[in-house]
Amino acid sequence: MLSDITLGQFYPGKSLLHRMDPRMKLLLVVAVIVFIFVASTFTTLGLIVLLVLTAVLLSGVPFGQYAKSLRAILFVVLFTSILNLFYGSGEALVQWGMMRITMDGIRRAIFVAVRIGTLIVCSAVLTFTTSPTQLTDALERLLTPLRKLRVPVHDIAMMMTISLRFVPTLLEETDKIMSAQKARGADLESGGAIQRVKAMVPVLIPLIVSAFRRAMDLAMAMECRCYGISARTTKMRQLHIGTLDIMSALLVIVVAALVIVGNMLLPGWM
Amino acid sequence: MNPILETKGLTFIYSPGTAYAKVACDHVDVTLYEGEFLGVIGHTGSGKSTLIQQLNGLLRPTEGQVLLRGKDIWAEPKKIRAVRFQVGMVFQYPEYQLFEETVMKDICFGPKNQGLSEEEALERAREAAYFVDLKEELWEKSPFELSGGEKRRAAIAGVLAMDPDVLILDEPAAGLDPKGRDKLLSQIRRYHKARGNTVLLVSHSMEDIARVADRVLVMNGGKMAMLDETPKVFARGEELEKMGLMMPQVTRMMARLKQLGYPVRGDELTVEQAVEELSALYGKGGQAGC
Amino acid sequence: MSFIEARGVRFAYDPTDDEPAREVLHGVDLSIEKGEFVALLGHNGCGKSTMAKLLNGMLHPTGGNITVGGADTADESHLYEVRCRVGLIQQNPDNQLVASIVEEDVAFGPENLGIEPKEIRRRVDDALKSVDMYEYREHATYKLSGGQKQRIAIAGIIAMQPECIVLDEPTAMLDPRGRKEVMDTIHTLNREKGITVVLITHYMDEAVQAGRVVVMDSGTILMQGTPRQVFSQVDVLKAHALDVPQASELAYRLRALGWQMPDDILNEDECIAALQVCLPPVSAGKGEAT
Repeated sequence: MLSDITLGQFYPGKSLLHRMDPRMKLLLVVAVIVFIFVASTFTTLGLIVLLVLTAVLLSGVPFGQYAKSLRAILFVVLFTSILNLFYGSGEALVQWGMMRITMDGIRRAIFVAVRIGTLIVCSAVLTFTTSPTQLTDALERLLTPLRKLRVPVHDIAMMMTISLRFVPTLLEETDKIMSAQKARGADLESGGAIQRVKAMVPVLIPLIVSAFRRAMDLAMAMECRCYGISARTTKMRQLHIGTLDIMSALLVIVVAALVIVGNMLLPGWM
Repeated sequence: MNPILETKGLTFIYSPGTAYAKVACDHVDVTLYEGEFLGVIGHTGSGKSTLIQQLNGLLRPTEGQVLLRGKDIWAEPKKIRAVRFQVGMVFQYPEYQLFEETVMKDICFGPKNQGLSEEEALERAREAAYFVDLKEELWEKSPFELSGGEKRRAAIAGVLAMDPDVLILDEPAAGLDPKGRDKLLSQIRRYHKARGNTVLLVSHSMEDIARVADRVLVMNGGKMAMLDETPKVFARGEELEKMGLMMPQVTRMMARLKQLGYPVRGDELTVEQAVEELSALYGKGGQAGC
Repeated sequence: MSFIEARGVRFAYDPTDDEPAREVLHGVDLSIEKGEFVALLGHNGCGKSTMAKLLNGMLHPTGGNITVGGADTADESHLYEVRCRVGLIQQNPDNQLVASIVEEDVAFGPENLGIEPKEIRRRVDDALKSVDMYEYREHATYKLSGGQKQRIAIAGIIAMQPECIVLDEPTAMLDPRGRKEVMDTIHTLNREKGITVVLITHYMDEAVQAGRVVVMDSGTILMQGTPRQVFSQVDVLKAHALDVPQASELAYRLRALGWQMPDDILNEDECIAALQVCLPPVSAGKGEAT
């Protein structure tokens, strides 16, 4: 079912990672992702994998959840890995015509697979332990300096919050409308590309109409709750950088430093 | 009566094989007969939506069969669309499926998908519009200009126009006011009488079911809890209330009178029936001096 | 002066391309006292939803005026005050939640008011407890049932500490279980927190529980009074295609047949008690009746 695709992957809990300041979490995850790409040897990448695995353990989210997000991109991982398999240089281990697999290719394939996997798990740690609202909240606060440039940061954050809130609702609605039109004999599955796009019209129009109706209701609900009525708004959740955040930042810095040093000192793929 | 639609050990499991597996429909055996009016009740999560969506092939059973005139509807999966024309389905809040430029064109959508010609489709659409009392001056309007109740009826006409042998309606009166609800129910009843086809009505409202259904199917926890003639089902009030289903107030009162020892049947479903029963028993009512 | 005073209120929607200005309220006078529980009854299109939006200043009267605690709702300088004192709940539970997580949604109103974070926390916890949803505070809103969503919406308004809540058909889209949850919540808030409730509904069983019932019909007030006064007018209500509790209807119909039933029956117990007076003693049995 369409509604199985949930963008709000938040997994409520009380773990160390859940308690971290979302701003720090966001910044550190971005940093780690950068270093996943900086790491150019198995050892340094391994260090980051260790760091991410530690985070996974500390997150208190069952492994199954991570496995699920990995499975979702399994195809991408396999595809890029296989592509890399044939890109290696050196002596061929197996060869069919132009296609040749080398030891170097195998290394590349594994390296790429680990890289993408780590990347996915790393961002999953963030989305599993941070609610979408916390995330937008963190982003809003990190972007606050842009207010000076007259960027409407608060409204942008509000838009993000609302989109996140309504994605599951609209997916569910799409599902329902598709079923209703199928029950009227609409053929949504067969035919060429153009035919398929045309066949989607009976689904898209009701969906847009419904989105507008929802938007009107929501606008009224927001007005009733005094949105935009006062110049001064506050947040229930007070954010502050605590010991936990500083320790985490230090850990990431140490790993990052090791990665840079390792990259320089270690020979080749090691 | 001849059976038209049968289920045999019908089972549906959401996300089978995972930790989230949920049996929404558990070995259900129901037979629908030609021309009957079957009511389906059960609270949210009882499996009634899952059940009906398998009847017209929108969901494919995990196990078991749906037989339409004795033939498994999934025998040839490529022909499942043909099944949907014979088993028509009106979803909850069907007005959210309207999309065409005009009401008439929207009602024609189903018949045209069936492969009918323009004229044939229009003929069917007019007839369907008549059944739901959709006035002619609305036909060329945009469906989005209609009132809530008119939209609902236009959407139902879109399914009636396919002229299905079995018509399934999922909470057709949800959100309507008493006037709109009464009107819609009497239109459905009129349609059923005129066409003589099979109608399956899902509703939370036992009052509504009591007024229209010949037989009632009660779903509970994915299983078929009862299937019997309407008065017989409603006579089992205590069991129904245990399943979280509310009996019509008048039925509860008559059951209480029976408990107090009065010689009433105790399964009266409507105020009319109760009045009839009481006045047949007691005439002008009351003892002398009352 | 009453807490809410509507005097000669008229309202017309702006004309559109296809339609001239359409007046939906033609001079409504209504006073609501603090702590009251008022049910506003009538079918779709009678102007009751417009009335709801007028009461908290979402719409302004095109004739006459409305005051909340003495402040005119049409006066822009009172906007903030009026919205804080009178909260509005709409029909569709899906469309009024702003955030993905329960407690973050409830905090939305107080955050907009610029209240101190610690105070918001306290209010959010209180509000969630008052609708019995505290255990769900960290849950995702979209996974909740309709009744739960509607209770979260109510908590979101309660967190703004209003004196009055106006609910526009809050149960129309819910199943019986959800309806009961929401109705219990509203009654608790009225009883324990002294919050004034204006409940717009077309369910009679909900109106029966109110302190006062106001019946609207085509933009005017048809009648008002205690539920007992209003529902004794079975013929007037029936003439306007409005429902009557089945207990009241049964008593009314039997009285029409000459039975000595009182004319102000409101619920099951009263009806049974009246019948017991009217009917011959049980031991007398069927034979002696008439």
